[in-house]
Amino acid sequence: MTKPDPLHLDVTIRRSDHDGSRDAHFQVPARDNQTILDVVSWIQQYADPTLSYRFACRVGMCGSCAMMVNGEPRWACRTHVKKVLNGSKVHIAPLRNLPVIKDLVVDMDPFFDKWGQAEGRHHPTQTRDDPVPRIDPEGAQRAEANAGIECINCSVCYAACDTVAGNPEYLGPAALQRAWTVFNDGKNADRQAILDAVSGSSGCHNCHSMGSCTHYCPNDLNPMQAITGLKRETVKAFIRGKSNA
Amino acid sequence: MGPEQNIKRHDTDILILGTGGAGLFAALHAQQSAPPDTKITIAVKGLLGKCGCTRMVQGGYNVALGPGDTVERHFMDTIEGGKWLPNQQMAWRLCEEAVVRVQELENEIGCFFDRNPDGTLHHKAFAGQTADRTVHKGDLTGIEIINRLMEQVLSRPIERLQEHRAIGLIPTRDGAALAGVLMIDMRTGSFRFVRAKTVLMATGGGPSMYKYHTPSGDKTMDGLAMALRAGLPLRDMEMVQFHPTGLLAGDHSRMTGTVLEEGLRGAGGQLISHARQRFMFDHDDRGERATRDVVSRGIYAEMRKNNNPEQEGVFISMAHLGPENVRRKFKGMVQRCADSGFDLAAGLVEVVPTAHYFMGGVVVDVDTHTALEGLYVAGEDAGGAHGSNRLGGNGVANSTVYGGVCGDTMGADIRKMGTLRDPDEDKLAAEVERACHPLSRKATVVQPLRQKLQEAMWEDVGVLRTRTGMERGLKRIAEISGELMDLGVSPENLAFNLTWHDWLNMRSLCDVSEVIAKAALERENSRGAHFREDFPEAGELDASYFTVAQQSAGVVKMERHAVDFSIVRPGETILPEGEPETLVIST
Repeated sequence: MTKPDPLHLDVTIRRSDHDGSRDAHFQVPARDNQTILDVVSWIQQYADPTLSYRFACRVGMCGSCAMMVNGEPRWACRTHVKKVLNGSKVHIAPLRNLPVIKDLVVDMDPFFDKWGQAEGRHHPTQTRDDPVPRIDPEGAQRAEANAGIECINCSVCYAACDTVAGNPEYLGPAALQRAWTVFNDGKNADRQAILDAVSGSSGCHNCHSMGSCTHYCPNDLNPMQAITGLKRETVKAFIRGKSNA
Repeated sequence: MGPEQNIKRHDTDILILGTGGAGLFAALHAQQSAPPDTKITIAVKGLLGKCGCTRMVQGGYNVALGPGDTVERHFMDTIEGGKWLPNQQMAWRLCEEAVVRVQELENEIGCFFDRNPDGTLHHKAFAGQTADRTVHKGDLTGIEIINRLMEQVLSRPIERLQEHRAIGLIPTRDGAALAGVLMIDMRTGSFRFVRAKTVLMATGGGPSMYKYHTPSGDKTMDGLAMALRAGLPLRDMEMVQFHPTGLLAGDHSRMTGTVLEEGLRGAGGQLISHARQRFMFDHDDRGERATRDVVSRGIYAEMRKNNNPEQEGVFISMAHLGPENVRRKFKGMVQRCADSGFDLAAGLVEVVPTAHYFMGGVVVDVDTHTALEGLYVAGEDAGGAHGSNRLGGNGVANSTVYGGVCGDTMGADIRKMGTLRDPDEDKLAAEVERACHPLSRKATVVQPLRQKLQEAMWEDVGVLRTRTGMERGLKRIAEISGELMDLGVSPENLAFNLTWHDWLNMRSLCDVSEVIAKAALERENSRGAHFREDFPEAGELDASYFTVAQQSAGVVKMERHAVDFSIVRPGETILPEGEPETLVIST
């Protein structure tokens, strides 16, 4: 990895439109402080105005720009080219496991539909007229809820997951991690509803604990551990005879 | 066949533009307050909840829930921070309703803000405030708020038009009301006209016409540009807030301009000049810990002294605090810098002031009504609540409070409204033609012109302003604006065609840049974010005025309107007698 810096990057981009897919090659000037987002931006701004990609925040907060870089899911905005360059080469493709809209832009709706199917939202027990509840920030249950709370729903784990690739119905790591977070939130109304939502044929028991989700999470979260928690709780609920799974 | 021949027509009852704190709250409140069969549609330039800037809030949310704090105290800080220019009724409602909105976020939406060891809400201190008032989720408050709001909106029967950018507010033929909004479905490149009885515009300002800017890449002042064309009055348009420490990573990098957090200076971070010397104490007794506007001006002045083209900005240095300590305390920031090749913990990172927030916006009343029936504005697109400067932590309070207010207002108003209104078809056709303008010209690159505009605004209408500079700036804007009209985009494939949108972004930015420069010329004193080197004094507070810009027949006209001190006059306070000036224990 001590090769001299190239003057140009040899960039291959998987492009798709209604006519199908093909690889396109571009020579991009190499710069200091250059991210994958800067590379695709340069191509669109100076080489091929029709190249499509998606980004918003530029700093790893919005989770809009994930793409496959040399076959691995990554945030484009926070991936320095030096980290991924293969000699002077890099291959960029749309995120795996989601339908492609055009070029590097995927449709994230299926990912969010599953987030909803997993009951990944708060179910209130109080209203805006009630005071903010006192909650021990160090309590065991709260710590479990906090573990996955910083997920920005970027879909990197979803793209990394071979189980999703094999079973498109599978809810996937992000939605399940969110369900686990809500399950452990003491303010949430109905824990059983969450277990019901994640224990069906598309639920947590599909997971083979291969761990790609945890390996690739750019925020160092551990969806696999959350899924393990859900597996444990759904089995416990089943044994208690409460589950209708 | 060109796209102009084919406009898809679409009807709804309540239309919301934008999915930041204002748009998402408006959707939820509208659903709660409107009659049960009301159709609600939310349209956004990017993905729902992912684009825009509420998500990027690091600091937190100002709310008078801390020990000893009151709505009155929050209000006084907001007025003093805005240098007596805020609309006092709006500022009051902001502070008052922030309380219920934070409770709603925790109890109904499901946010979890940081707690004290005893389980009560943690309130942190933020510059310019007299109480520890800012509730937060670590330094990722915006992500928590938007993720939770997004989940709630996605689970409800609210129609989504994602990657639909609004390009024109289309009135009725008699001009008395808004009929609907023209959009481009970015995924297909086709036009869509959406009729609605009420429309909230919450596209979120975003002064990205400056060389260095913090807002997300989708933000290009489209909302204010549409409002300008619709002839609506815009206030405080000279008020651009700069954050002192934006990352400088070169003009080829999207990272450039993004914020290095306030807390770095608070913790003892030092600013170092090109001559390797600290300079902030030459400008202010508080040194690096002075307020954002003061530090931004200090850095800008320092930058002007330097002739070395290799180094444009100044440096922030943290290493004296112990690299390990810095790595631990500012993990996210250190990692972010490392990802773009900089060592924040042990090295020097080059920084510049960066355009952050736009205080100016559409003139609205406290219920978010505008001068045009059927149109409502909330969040950063609305002017008035912050006056000449926004307190850190009042931005997300403003968008969520007024988004909710707007949802309630639209839900109530719609009960009194009859059928959908028909658009002025000539205006609709004119807006389509405007958007298609580049498609019949010779295709070339757009980005160099964007950089030219950003240079002009930075140099001539930036942190430190003079009449000479701004008159030159106006000339440059006009030239760039003209050049844009000669610049073409290939019409071959308009599906997700970012270059066409770059052109449209530039159109919005040029139009609003002109207004910023004109408003800044109109204000012949220095208040808050606006600093005139040729008029450095604040002027008589009792005679405070705010600027109003309005476009008619293609010409922008400026007026000065007296501030209505309807709650408190300069020199007075609404705090009870004997209240301490500040509740913050100084360190």
